[in-house]
Amino acid sequence: MAIIVSRKERFLDKLYIPALLVGLKVTFRRFFESLFLGRTMTIQYPEQKREYSQRFRGEHFISVDANKVENCTSCYLCQTVCPAECITIIAEERPNDQNPYGVRKEKRPVRFDIDALRCCFCGFCEEACPKDAIKLSRNYEMAVETRAQAFYDLDHLKREVKGRG
Amino acid sequence: MTKPKITFDGQTFEFEPGDTIMRAAERAHIDQGIPRFCYHPGLPIAGTCRMCTVEVEKAPKLMTACSTPAADGMVVHTQSDKVRKSRAGVMEFLLVNHPLDCPVCDQAGECSLQNYNYEYGPGTSRFRDDKRIWSEATTKRLSDKLTLNMNRCVHCERCVRFTEDISKSNELLMENRGWKKELVSVADQKSFDEYQGNIADICPVGAITFNDFRFKKRVWFLKARKTLCDGCSKGCSIFADEEKHVVYRYRARRNDQVNGHWICDEGRVSYKTYMNPERVIQPLLKTGAEGVACSWQTVLSWSLAEARKAKRVLLLLGTDATSEEAATLMQILPSYWQAETQIRLWNGTGEGVQRSSDDAGLDKLLRRRDKTPNTKGLEMLGLKPFDPAQDQGFDLAIYYRSGRATLPAAPCASVEIGWGVFDRSEAQRFAAVWPGQGVLEKAGSYTNCDGLTQSFDAAVASHGGCAPVKKVLDALKVLSTSASASHEEVALGSV
Amino acid sequence: MDLFEWIALILKLVFVLAAVLNTVPIVVWFERRGSAWMQGRVGPNRVGPFGLMQPIADVIKFIFKEDFVPEQASKFFYHAAPVLAAVAPLAAFAAIPFGSYLIIGDRQVPLQIAQLDVGILAALAFAGLEVYPVMLSGWASNNKYSTFGALRGSSQMVSYEIGLGLALVSMLMIYGTLDLNAMVKYQEQTLWGFLPSWGVFLNPVAFVIFLVAIFAETNRLPFDLPEGDAELVGGYHTEYGSTKFLMFFFAEYIAMIMASSLLITLFFGGYAPLPGMKAGVDVLASALGFGSVGTQNLWAVVQVLSMIFKVGCVMFFFVWVRWTFPRFRFDQLMDLGWKILFPLALINLLVVAIFIAMLGG
Repeated sequence: MAIIVSRKERFLDKLYIPALLVGLKVTFRRFFESLFLGRTMTIQYPEQKREYSQRFRGEHFISVDANKVENCTSCYLCQTVCPAECITIIAEERPNDQNPYGVRKEKRPVRFDIDALRCCFCGFCEEACPKDAIKLSRNYEMAVETRAQAFYDLDHLKREVKGRG
Repeated sequence: MTKPKITFDGQTFEFEPGDTIMRAAERAHIDQGIPRFCYHPGLPIAGTCRMCTVEVEKAPKLMTACSTPAADGMVVHTQSDKVRKSRAGVMEFLLVNHPLDCPVCDQAGECSLQNYNYEYGPGTSRFRDDKRIWSEATTKRLSDKLTLNMNRCVHCERCVRFTEDISKSNELLMENRGWKKELVSVADQKSFDEYQGNIADICPVGAITFNDFRFKKRVWFLKARKTLCDGCSKGCSIFADEEKHVVYRYRARRNDQVNGHWICDEGRVSYKTYMNPERVIQPLLKTGAEGVACSWQTVLSWSLAEARKAKRVLLLLGTDATSEEAATLMQILPSYWQAETQIRLWNGTGEGVQRSSDDAGLDKLLRRRDKTPNTKGLEMLGLKPFDPAQDQGFDLAIYYRSGRATLPAAPCASVEIGWGVFDRSEAQRFAAVWPGQGVLEKAGSYTNCDGLTQSFDAAVASHGGCAPVKKVLDALKVLSTSASASHEEVALGSV
Repeated sequence: MDLFEWIALILKLVFVLAAVLNTVPIVVWFERRGSAWMQGRVGPNRVGPFGLMQPIADVIKFIFKEDFVPEQASKFFYHAAPVLAAVAPLAAFAAIPFGSYLIIGDRQVPLQIAQLDVGILAALAFAGLEVYPVMLSGWASNNKYSTFGALRGSSQMVSYEIGLGLALVSMLMIYGTLDLNAMVKYQEQTLWGFLPSWGVFLNPVAFVIFLVAIFAETNRLPFDLPEGDAELVGGYHTEYGSTKFLMFFFAEYIAMIMASSLLITLFFGGYAPLPGMKAGVDVLASALGFGSVGTQNLWAVVQVLSMIFKVGCVMFFFVWVRWTFPRFRFDQLMDLGWKILFPLALINLLVVAIFIAMLGG
């Protein structure tokens, strides 16, 4: 069933000219504000940057411990939970010299690949990770020149990120 | 005589005299309601874990289901409040020292401790002190095939009982007492028997893991497919665990007629023949010294022309062919050419086994000399073993085998065609290779050493251009009847 | 004509051409940055100071693009269309006066390229040619979108020329002349002592009709249906690229400048500055010690500047309107042209005629 909306239009409304003038007023006010008061919606991007939330989810990284050894124990939980299936892990036994804490890390990732082109940045991996190893930094500048560069390997993921970037 | 009856949670079932409560529950197929760590149907009863306690009416205390004999008219409650409280207590004690490393532990996903804790456990721990930690036995090599993580052990002693009673190697034992109880191996990091994989299978937690599968895959990705092990003439029932048509491991599947609960280590890793990256999965045609990948049409047309030129053709069936494949080949393949075709079987495994009478058990449990699954089945089809001394003078030899039977050392004919599962080095001697299916990829039936015929289904899809026998025969028929067969008609597999 | 007149003519031609062609990049720049400001954006500001070099960058980009010609195009007309598009409005400038006259030596040099008695008709005639490049390019491209754009363009232009013409006729009746210079002279008078007697005050209805009509004539939003980027890809110039497109692009802005010149000549006093300014200029000239000749020349310069200022204001209005109003639907466009503007113009003409008859000419 259709809902019939009747609008009462006066003669002036039908003439459209007041409405046109209102439109012109809006654009002129905006023109004035942008030009003289500098109130623009856009920013000069590479120089200026928007302040994103502390919880923004950007480029992935894997946190490392004091010895630059990744915290990841390749438990596959991120790979399991990933809805985009963009994480690929190959695990192996962690050598003992990487294991200063004795029992803590039995496994290590030989390969830890994230296909950033597939990733949907949902942050489930971060949430699933029992070791707080995989995290999403606040970096959103992820443009690359080739497809291969968007395929993050362990070396890229282990790069230094301060805080959450 | 009427059978005795037992009542589980209000339902009455019959049981055999002499059964324990657990055995009676198994007969009634309700044994999943009774958790257990130390009890295993294939092992002697220990009664140490106290997880399987059930409430028996008129009994003053909870009784262990695994060791209490069932009596006629017994009324058992497996899920009463008292029982569940007891189980929660047992779980809490077990978890006092169990590390919380499920994400790293390979058993996670098929771990009894995990499952029972979800079902019965208290959910929280009241234990506030440091956990017991074996720093040395955290990741210790128990043998060449097993890795021990003593931190995770719940002292069920299934492994000890397995070596005592099943493999009879008596290699594993528990040292010390109480919470210092530690599993040690007498052999000390050496191989102690051929059935060690079962120890990893029966370990209810992740304490003992099988090195071949360790860290390869998380078990929740895997789907268990029922199939047969074709590693020897025993024909053990197994689960092939696959993900996306890649098999990562074999596990024993209970089959009391053949293998009970166990399989040997050799069979456990025999999936590698089919998952071998060196396996030939595209048709090959030899040009110069190397076999070059080509289409099915090319290789079949070439082979058919060779067969038509030949005067005598030898079809050598490996004893790893299924009975169906062998029968089909025997009847149909010779009709495609005029040459006289001699059909022989070939085994050659286990230092020259050729007929089933050569076969013998290597030990008292499962392993056999004959490392092919279907020697008896092919003999039942009336095939005789190939004798290089007698059978001679062939122009063309076609070997059909799917990865288990050996190949005759000397060439049997001037032109040899390999059909089935070969790796790259084996394929070197053939003028052409038709890639065929391994046991994981086909359905069929094998007759084992005891004369038991078992059929099985395909566990995974064929790899690459590997095609079933029937499709290859169909394509050969198209090529042999029409002069110009279209490419589509003989496009087999995903070439 | 003697040598002096020839030289004067050539100088005037050069001046007009240079002024018009150099206004285009400025307008284009303003169109881009002005639109940004109206939308609350920053706009292109990277090329040169304030992004002023942006139009030059655009031109360079166009020149270095691939100069393709469609396989099935009618080659001669295909190439003729952009030339005609640029030439027609430029030619119309010949009739537009941009100042009264300069005195050089003892001779008067009128600031108008062609002093025509029927200047308005000449301007209209050249402006009327604007429909041909649209038709030619659309048809010669041999592309369905181009053809659609051309059909729309021609019907739209022809329709709105009626309203435009009738509005014009009413003004001609008021001014009583076809000479644009004479019209400006008429508008230099004042109305009731304070109001300049500009056409817009004399006949506001004709002004509105004329204004709407020139938007349609120059294919500017809200009447840019011939181009119709959203539904027609690019309309009549879909198949044009590189320099040929650039010429269409220039032609659009030249046509806008021409239309605004005509608009201010008819309704805003042409080159005439505000009425009080004459006295101011006289005071300035006597302060500087200019004679009567110098005073007149200074006055002519002020006139040219005021002409440029007025054109600039109308150009601003063009841009302002473009970034304010959405595009019309084609039937709405035709409704507006035929059912509203045409009758309105007729009634207006009648009313003006009655007024003139009553006031006795």
